[in-house]
Amino acid sequence: MAKKMSFWESQKLQGQIVSWILYAIAWAGALIFVIPLVWMISTSLKAPGEIFTMPPKWIPYSELKLEYDTKITAHFPGKVKFEKDADGTERINLGGYSHVIPPIAQLQVRKNQNVEKGDILAVIPEKGRIKLIENPDKTSIIRIVNDEGMTIKEYNLSEDSKPVVKEGEMVTVGQKIANIMPQWSNYAKAWAPKAFDVTFNRFLVNTLIITLTSILGVLLSSTFVAYGFSRFKFPGRDPLFLVMVSTMMIPAQVTMIPTFMLFKYLGWIDTFWPLIIPTFFGGGAFNIFLMRQFFMTIPYELDDAAKIDGCNYFQIFWTILLPLVKPAMATTAIFGFVYNWNDFMNPLIYLNSTSNYTLALGLQTFTTMYGTDYNLMMAASTIVLLPILLIFFFGQRFFIEGVATSGLKG
Amino acid sequence: MENEKKISKMKMSTQDAVWGYVFLSPWILGMVFFMGGPIIFSLILAFCKWDMITPINFVGMDNFVKMFSDMRFLHSMYNTFYYTIFSVPLGIIGSIMVALLMNQKWKSVRLLRTIYYLPSVTAGVASAIIWMWLLNPDFGLINYGLSILGIKGPQWMADEVWAKPAFIIMSLWGVGGNMIIYLAGLQGIPRQLYEAAEIDGAGMMQKFRYVTLPMLTPVIFFNLIMSIVWSFQIFTQVYVMTGGQGGPADSTLVMVLYIYQQAFKFHNMGYASAIAWVLFIIILLFTMLQFKISGGWVHYEGELKK
Repeated sequence: MAKKMSFWESQKLQGQIVSWILYAIAWAGALIFVIPLVWMISTSLKAPGEIFTMPPKWIPYSELKLEYDTKITAHFPGKVKFEKDADGTERINLGGYSHVIPPIAQLQVRKNQNVEKGDILAVIPEKGRIKLIENPDKTSIIRIVNDEGMTIKEYNLSEDSKPVVKEGEMVTVGQKIANIMPQWSNYAKAWAPKAFDVTFNRFLVNTLIITLTSILGVLLSSTFVAYGFSRFKFPGRDPLFLVMVSTMMIPAQVTMIPTFMLFKYLGWIDTFWPLIIPTFFGGGAFNIFLMRQFFMTIPYELDDAAKIDGCNYFQIFWTILLPLVKPAMATTAIFGFVYNWNDFMNPLIYLNSTSNYTLALGLQTFTTMYGTDYNLMMAASTIVLLPILLIFFFGQRFFIEGVATSGLKG
Repeated sequence: MENEKKISKMKMSTQDAVWGYVFLSPWILGMVFFMGGPIIFSLILAFCKWDMITPINFVGMDNFVKMFSDMRFLHSMYNTFYYTIFSVPLGIIGSIMVALLMNQKWKSVRLLRTIYYLPSVTAGVASAIIWMWLLNPDFGLINYGLSILGIKGPQWMADEVWAKPAFIIMSLWGVGGNMIIYLAGLQGIPRQLYEAAEIDGAGMMQKFRYVTLPMLTPVIFFNLIMSIVWSFQIFTQVYVMTGGQGGPADSTLVMVLYIYQQAFKFHNMGYASAIAWVLFIIILLFTMLQFKISGGWVHYEGELKK
């Protein structure tokens, strides 16, 4: 008699448990993979004070609370000595440590008085009145003043942050005075940094010109050449195809320098031509390969029928076969778009003037200037990535099919 | 009648041949101007010294001799090898594992695949910048995550020892790119093989070892070759994250960056060409080596339709 397995031993349950574990792992991994992008967007909306926080802040929102030391205490014991900086700042020096005494503070010690560590040197009022100042560029200042109008503390707010106190209102240390909202203005700042006379507008236009023209070149020439490889028999066809495929393995650096020299000789440096012209000559082995594979799936009878109808080879290509490879052309176009949009090395080599820069090049240049303004850097990166992400979401199918076809048949 | 048919058939085939070449012509022209010509010229350049201003100067093997006593060059070779040796195997293993996961029959598998593939589409300057921030020693998410586990994270891009591992980790973010290829490969494995294995009493691990893996070997083979070719050419991320320097202390000076520096910063066109050729030969040797040993581990099922 067959032994009956207990409930727990049944294969089906084991399979289910394993499946659930894998499911959890898959989602955990996906979460980890998506974190950098989420972090990018989160940082891009932060105000400067929110960037360098530990633990890291995920939501770009915080509350601004009135904060300052109401007492200035001695760090070291000693005899009180008053000093004045070149810019007029008053200080008390004790044990080598220079305590800043702001104008608003009321001294609690006299000259030459002996103090211990922790003694109060000066006090600053705990309460003050709000003064709101709006700048012409839509940024604002919240100033807390005492009854004589002297400034106790001042905060600069960006155009996105909103004060929650009213003019003249009395506030105390620790009280919330503003909501630091997601800083959408970072995107405007990243797009047109003041130190440059070009903005992302220029980069966008340049990149679009190069990308769209390149796509056109690739679509036209890769289908043209693939047609030749797939529909005709001629001596040397297969060896030539092999040669073409093997060029995929040649590192670009081998031809980089002479190609640069060629374009220099033609006077095309600092123009878009070096980035566009080669695409009209086959558009790359990868694309020809993809197209050729696709052409080969179309039955030859169509060509024969067309020939009988009196079509010449060009007409067969243009009117019959081309419409049939639209999916492959869509894939090629999408890959071409991503490649050109993200391309850094070629624009780096051929484009010199900032006004000719592409998005990739402009992004790199700008970020060397942002220093530690990571919020602006992330905003700029988001701007550059956004079109790619959108294209990916809407054209997913083409990415996946294209990669699968090329990866397998190889 | 017979003769006429023969003649027209003959005409057709030469016509065929001519037109074949006509359609191939853009590619052939392109090959001459942007591939063949440049390759020959760069080979010649490799034996010369040229700064683009003074005339080209033939120096024989000088560049190659100089190369192998050039500490920066040797360092760049080491860096490139280091990066490749780690990122390629880890990447392939990672891609296969993710592909296996993505091959399950869950409802949300399409969304999951999208998420895993997404990072590989963002490759380039933007992604390098994101990772610069992620790897920030004091405020970056990576070190924060490590601190939760009780580990004090290294200085990453500021540390000679950890800068290269930083790039390797970055490259793992892009496993989704190859995942697609392996997914397609997995889906091409005939069900009957699995069913036959099950009948023989194979469990999950055995099915993987004796059915899945062997059937995947052609895909792995191709992917291995292309991955190595690509990883030897790493440039953009390194340039962006080190400001074109390859620091700290040349620890991330990869070969392509060194070629770029020699050609476009120092204007040693001949030397740069020589290095490019050495890079090419290394890649070629690796590829040939893999073809040679492929017979030992790549398993082709039936005939491979070319």
